[in-house]
Amino acid sequence: MTNHPTNSEAEDDPLLAELRRLAGAVDPVPDQVTAYARAALGWRRIDAELAELLVDSQLETASTTRSVSASERTLTFRASDLDIDVELSLGAEGIVLLGQLAPAGAAEVEAQRDDGSTVASAAVDELGRFRLALEPGMRIRLVVRREAPAPPVETSWIDV
Amino acid sequence: MVSPAASPGELLRKAAAGDQFAWNAIVDRFSGLVWATARAHRLSRDDAADVAQTTWLRLVEHLDRIRDPERLGAWLATTARHESLRMIRRGGREQATDEADLFEVPDDDAVDRLLLEQERDGKLWRAFAALSDRCKTLLRILMADEPPSYEEVGAALGMPVGAIGPTRMRCLDRLRRTAGVSELGA
Repeated sequence: MTNHPTNSEAEDDPLLAELRRLAGAVDPVPDQVTAYARAALGWRRIDAELAELLVDSQLETASTTRSVSASERTLTFRASDLDIDVELSLGAEGIVLLGQLAPAGAAEVEAQRDDGSTVASAAVDELGRFRLALEPGMRIRLVVRREAPAPPVETSWIDV
Repeated sequence: MVSPAASPGELLRKAAAGDQFAWNAIVDRFSGLVWATARAHRLSRDDAADVAQTTWLRLVEHLDRIRDPERLGAWLATTARHESLRMIRRGGREQATDEADLFEVPDDDAVDRLLLEQERDGKLWRAFAALSDRCKTLLRILMADEPPSYEEVGAALGMPVGAIGPTRMRCLDRLRRTAGVSELGA
C-alpha cells in the first residue's frame, strides 16, 4: 500500500493524477464549448446595462410540479431603472413572447440569439407592451433600446 | 494548483476592458472546472455543454461586477452548480441518472483515445465507476484540469470545504483497495 497523502490540497495524489488523465481522455471538455466560451466575450456590449433575471416561473413551479406544462412561463428581469416582465406561451406556430416594460416609454425591443443574430424585434406600445414571435429551443436575450440618454438594456440569457 | 502568470483578478479586469487574450486565459484555466461541475451533477454531455455555455455567458454578463475577482474559480463553480440544478429542475431535460453516461466511455472516439484495452486504465476506470455516488461526484471535480482548490470544489458541489479532504482520502483509499488498483498510482 501507498502512504496516505496528507489533506493538503497542494499535494496531488498520484492516483488522482491518473484519474485526471483518464477523465481528460474519456470525458474532455468538448471543443465547441471552448470555442463558444471564447466567443462569448464578443456578445457583450460595453454600453448596455444588464437586466438580471429575478423570477422564472419555470423554476418556481418545477420543484413542486415535476411535469409542469411548458406552455406558459413568466419571467421578470430588472435593470436599475427598468423592469421587464415577460410571458412565454407555446402555440401552434411557435412561442409567443408578450412583454411589458415598466416604466413604459418609447422603446424598441429585440430578441438576440447567442450566435449574434436578431430573431425578432418590435416597438413597444404606449403602455410599454410588446410582442415577439420565437421558435422554441433557442437561447436568447432581449435588448431594449430607449430614447437617449437612457442606455440600452440587455437581459440575462434565457433558454426558450 | 494553477501557477498563473496573471491573477484571476488581473485577467478579469483586462477581459472586462475587452482583452480577448485575457478572456481566453480565463476560459483555458477554468473550463475544466466548469465542465466537471456540470458532469458531476450527472448531466449528459449535451446538457453539460449547455450548462457550461450558459455559465460562460453569465460571466460575460457579470464581468465588471464580480465581487471578489481573485475567487473567480469559486464564482464560476457556484454558477455552474446553479445552472446544473436549474437544468435538472427544468425537467424535460435528460438527466443521466444511470451510470452509463457519466462514468462510462461516452463514444467510440473516446475509446480510441483512452485505449481502454490497456489493462491498467481499464481497471482503474472500472474501479472508479464502482465507487459510491458521493465518491464519484467528489472525485469527478477533483479530476478537473486544472486541479481545483478546495474552495472551488466546495462551491461546485455545495459541500463544506472541511469535508473535502477527509472524503477525498476515504474515496481514494477505497479505490486503492479495489482489486488490481493497489499497485496503481503508487
